[in-house]
Amino acid sequence: MFGSRSPPEYDAARMHPLERLVNLVALLLESPRPVTFEHIRDTMPEAYGQEDVGSAKRMFERDKDVLRDVGVPIEVIGTDAWEVEQGYVIPKDKYYLPEIEFTAEEISALFVAAHSGGEDASAEQAVRKLLYGADGGLLAGVSPAPLAAEAGTSDARLLAAAEAIAEHRGVRFDYRTVRGEDSERRMDPWGLVFRSGHWYLVGLDRERGEIRAFRLSRMTGDLALTGEAGPRPEGFRAADHVLVGPWGPGEPHERARVAFSPEVSWWATQGLQEAQVERTRDDGWVELSLPAALGGGLVSWVLSFGPDAELLEPASLRAEIARRLESILDG
Amino acid sequence: MTADGGRRQKTLKASERLERLLAVVPYLVRHPGSELAELSRLFGIGEAELLEDLNRLFMSGLPPYGPGDLIGVDIEDGRVWIDMADYFARPLRLTRAEALTLYLRGTALAATPGLQESEALASALRKLGGSLGSEALGELAARVETTPGGRPAGTLDVVRRASAEHERLRISYYAASTAETTDREIDPEAVFFDIGNWYVAAFDHRSGQERLFRIDRIRTAELTSERFQPRGLAGPGRPLYTPTEQDLQVRLRLHPEARWVAEYYEVTGQQEVEGGELEVTLPAARLEWVARLVLRLSGQARVLDPPALKDLVRQLAERTGKRYQRGSPHDV
Repeated sequence: MFGSRSPPEYDAARMHPLERLVNLVALLLESPRPVTFEHIRDTMPEAYGQEDVGSAKRMFERDKDVLRDVGVPIEVIGTDAWEVEQGYVIPKDKYYLPEIEFTAEEISALFVAAHSGGEDASAEQAVRKLLYGADGGLLAGVSPAPLAAEAGTSDARLLAAAEAIAEHRGVRFDYRTVRGEDSERRMDPWGLVFRSGHWYLVGLDRERGEIRAFRLSRMTGDLALTGEAGPRPEGFRAADHVLVGPWGPGEPHERARVAFSPEVSWWATQGLQEAQVERTRDDGWVELSLPAALGGGLVSWVLSFGPDAELLEPASLRAEIARRLESILDG
Repeated sequence: MTADGGRRQKTLKASERLERLLAVVPYLVRHPGSELAELSRLFGIGEAELLEDLNRLFMSGLPPYGPGDLIGVDIEDGRVWIDMADYFARPLRLTRAEALTLYLRGTALAATPGLQESEALASALRKLGGSLGSEALGELAARVETTPGGRPAGTLDVVRRASAEHERLRISYYAASTAETTDREIDPEAVFFDIGNWYVAAFDHRSGQERLFRIDRIRTAELTSERFQPRGLAGPGRPLYTPTEQDLQVRLRLHPEARWVAEYYEVTGQQEVEGGELEVTLPAARLEWVARLVLRLSGQARVLDPPALKDLVRQLAERTGKRYQRGSPHDV
């Protein structure tokens, strides 16, 4: 399959940087022991063999930086007992990705996720590496990525927040409240919460001495890491400290019966998998039995449909709705 | 469509091409005979550029390039085989930034409701967390929380497909502001999730204007097989509501339990008052939906302004209240 060819003639002036970098990685990865710059120069004359050693060394240093930038773990190790001479090596165990196998569905999902962010390409590069461990038949039916998280938050800020938490460091940042007031905040970050399209950093607000949640998109500058953060309390749940918006009829523990007008019934029950249609009335209204938490959440949810919904059961909450409506009319 | 949404057709730097190549080679060792077109799509690189780099690879190998030390590349009928690249048989590890960014984006996406990929994504993230372990992700996996929230949207898949393929959609849409359902054709562009709902930015042929539609309120969506030229509408990150000069300035006083309103809607003013209450100014083109909001908040919000809203809330309460006047519905 592979045609024969004569070894290419190497020429320092013609050697492409990409080629030089690939060869350097191969050399350092395959070498059983650290190799000195002199050895590299001898082995790759077409790359670093120019007469002026100084400029050859500078080129090597630049290449080394490029490799480190893309994550190649080049180590510098003393090659003699006095560590006068230094050698370079890429340890295989630090270079190679551990085996991770993904199904076609999993890799497709990661692909969609990686493309669901802003400009930063790190996540996309991550998936390219992971593609290796994927089954065939890839990405056949991949839908394009919708955006899940706010575009207003840069990846750099999110990464800095993640790093601070992972390393138990405090953070300092400028923040603009909903009211438009700017101030500098200092906090011990204990958790990151993604809620309904926004990332929040949750932890101890140092000045106020209280637990607060800060929306990343309201930070107005970079996140600076400060000293060590105070310990995260046992059993701390960051999500408990992020304001809750009303989404549905509450966590389902029991069942309620609700009637909806034909205009809204399809919409009201969307995503409520256990909603059961009990009957459709002559006037087109639909009576449903659905899972719900029997409390204020359900009352608010039914009221949000105005005259397009009627809570049938339980009777106690039905009475509660009637009472609330009367108090509006009396007020 | 291109797999990367057509975003990347710029020229890459040598370091980026190296990064790309160090991922393509192990993939080819594992998946011999892959199609160039598929590689181009998977790795987000143009076919011409990829060919150039693969040819370059043909000149590379392990110095001092003895027989068998040069990487073999064979391209036939648009398929690629690679040989003698044992040292590149597995990819480079993920950098910390790569692992974190992918993990966080994946976590965010997995927490959105009604996405067809959710389950596969969750299991992929578990594998990532397990295999990359503490070195790449640190304790982070245990410190990132998501709260399920928001409305799933039954028509999400078809809207995503239409927006990817620039295909016009015929939809039936329930507008909450007027509580009416209407039919229209739209050219869907960007699909995104924000504050609990899926949205699509689209050109609306009914009004002849750009509009933001909540996908959960799209009752039916049919592909028309008619293509449109994207207009480059602003997508994610755009304000969900753009105030205009004609807006009415609604002022509400919120009980502490209703403070989420200030987070959820685009409020233009906000002031703390005693007892943890909050006064907010909310610009609104129509009052009907605000009246329903106040009804839902009954007891937790008081209308300060405008008086017309107070009237509307009373009317709404009256109409709704009629349904409850007959006691138990079984009596009827």
